[in-house]
Amino acid sequence: MIFETGRRHLLVAMEVYMHENKLTVRVPLRLALAALLVAMSACLAWGADARTLLKESENRHRTRTQQYAGELTVVNKEGKVRKKGWKSFREGYAGDAKNLIRFIDPPEVKGVGFLSLAHPGGQNPDQWLYLPSMKRERRIAAQDRDASFVGTDFNYEDMEEFDHEKYKVALQGEQIVEGQPCHVITATPLEKGGKSVYEKKILYLRKDILYLMRMDLYLKRDKQPGKQLILSDIQSINGHWVARKMEMNDLKKGSRTTVLLREIAFDKPQPANRFTLRNLNREGGD
Amino acid sequence: MTRLRASLVALCLLCPIPALAQGISGYAEAKGFAYFERSSSRDPWALGWGTIFAKWEEKVNEAQLTASVRGEGITSDERGPLAFDPADRKLRRSPISVQDLWLRFPLTPSLDLQLGRFQLGWGKTDGYSPADAFLPRDLSDPFSDEKIPLWAVRLSGQNGTLRYESIVCPVTTPWRLPVLGSRNAPLNVERFPAGTTFKEVETQPPNMGFVALRLLYTLGEWDLGAWGRAGVRPAPLLDFRFDRAIAGPSGLTIPVERRYAREEGVGIEVSRIVGAWILRGEAAGLLSRERGLGNAFIGSLSVERGFGDGTLLITLAGNTKDPGIDQTLLFDRATLPALITAWSRTEEWGEWKLVWTAGLKRGDGLIKMEAGYNLTDLWKVTLGGELPYGSPDGPFGALNAARRMHLALRRSW
Repeated sequence: MIFETGRRHLLVAMEVYMHENKLTVRVPLRLALAALLVAMSACLAWGADARTLLKESENRHRTRTQQYAGELTVVNKEGKVRKKGWKSFREGYAGDAKNLIRFIDPPEVKGVGFLSLAHPGGQNPDQWLYLPSMKRERRIAAQDRDASFVGTDFNYEDMEEFDHEKYKVALQGEQIVEGQPCHVITATPLEKGGKSVYEKKILYLRKDILYLMRMDLYLKRDKQPGKQLILSDIQSINGHWVARKMEMNDLKKGSRTTVLLREIAFDKPQPANRFTLRNLNREGGD
Repeated sequence: MTRLRASLVALCLLCPIPALAQGISGYAEAKGFAYFERSSSRDPWALGWGTIFAKWEEKVNEAQLTASVRGEGITSDERGPLAFDPADRKLRRSPISVQDLWLRFPLTPSLDLQLGRFQLGWGKTDGYSPADAFLPRDLSDPFSDEKIPLWAVRLSGQNGTLRYESIVCPVTTPWRLPVLGSRNAPLNVERFPAGTTFKEVETQPPNMGFVALRLLYTLGEWDLGAWGRAGVRPAPLLDFRFDRAIAGPSGLTIPVERRYAREEGVGIEVSRIVGAWILRGEAAGLLSRERGLGNAFIGSLSVERGFGDGTLLITLAGNTKDPGIDQTLLFDRATLPALITAWSRTEEWGEWKLVWTAGLKRGDGLIKMEAGYNLTDLWKVTLGGELPYGSPDGPFGALNAARRMHLALRRSW
């Protein structure tokens, strides 16, 4: 309805402009203009539809907090398997999310901590990594966000919550993914959203529950996706849909990292100081 | 000392011993060193070093209790005898040592109290940090940059974006030095007649340690910090007692005593992201009335940049005050001025790093390289080398006879 109104306003405005400038408009030209306006407004409508879908998705799946224990399996292209484990805590959602991850396994990375504090609708989140061997935190520069996150196929940007406000979004159509009809949405990073490792992301949003099932990640200057995130084993826990399995495939390296989510809890009150630098530096803390 | 020991034993006994030790981790490592040369016939061509480390961590409600112990065997005469040395105050390291024994609990939701034996990590600049450099190191292996934990009480908290940390270290844990005159701590032979040996006197470090306060403030991409400390400086000053030298058939034997100076220090830290780089800087003013030490004004500046899974780090550090004595014997500032360039990279199979430290005063330096290959999640093999070079008058060049390669196999649990 809003778009219809907008389109009418645009047509009226153009007519006024042409009238005021004494432009003579012949029928074919009017038709062409009308066609152009229809096409433009269709594009606007598609973009807005994608935005509406993403907003609705965020509204449906937003929780105050989430925590889980992650069992990670990293498989390289030769098939060599490495296991890791972390505990993940989140407060807020998308643009206002605060995340703390603490590795619990293997011994080599035990105690490594990661803190990410999002800036709503703004720049890149502030990110720090705590290394027990150094006993102090290290800030992650925005340009370093393409580095592997502690030997996994996730990079530091992948560890952020997806915030559609930082992207120009457009609905591309529909596609069946794993037997589920999905909206296909292209998300292109906006300049104001900070620097991104990716040129664009293609999201596959399950139509019935508006839950992300797949994300194709295109690195700069790449025509094919460099990475692909697949979310599966989607279940409703305490009334919240959640994928109990996340798999990040590095299509260039031929490796993949699978995260199985255990001990999932939503809306559990988090300690007030959990998402602070002080807590990140607390050895043995989570 | 007896009172100190009794206090430490009491503290150990106060710690609750769990019936079930669920949070145990650790490793066993076998490491071999092969040297390119020897400084004397006493030096071995090869050295073996075996380590077992076990750490136990337990959470009791909001409190965190951690204890760790390290046992090691070294195929060298330089190791110390098995001794009760809970604060690492003896000349040589004991085969068994407590690395962690601490309890932390919140006094308020934003204030933690930690007490016991633990390691500190201060400062911002990597490679050399004026805030961190004074903390005691164990130079038994001169290339490992191994920190010694401290017995201390720490109060740490956060108020908004301001963090604060105060430390009271009631007992001095001194720097541990290699055997003087060995290839790991050669002394300038020109100063001493040929055949001179050194008898290190087991000098008791002062019981009193130091107090320190550190404030950290984060403002957007800026991280700012300031600190101050006062007390005993853990790095010793060496007194060569020529007046008590003993002439023997093979040469002079000179007793060497250690003194510990009082020192006050203040410093600032700053860090900021500038484009693709992280800039870090520190400055510290150190004041001491002790002869043979004097004042120092130390600064460091570092830049760091990531290139995918690789990281480049360049640090420049220097002391604007001339100490007036051989700076090598000041330990925590021995290598200044220096330019440190490090490249490290994570690979699918493990990681590797290359560090080049160039001494800017004597033109000497040190090249360190290491590659770690993960055989499995728990088994890891590491190959590396340490190659000091340059003028023997410099802190690195003096270690020419300690050039070596090493190979280690570690099993973690």
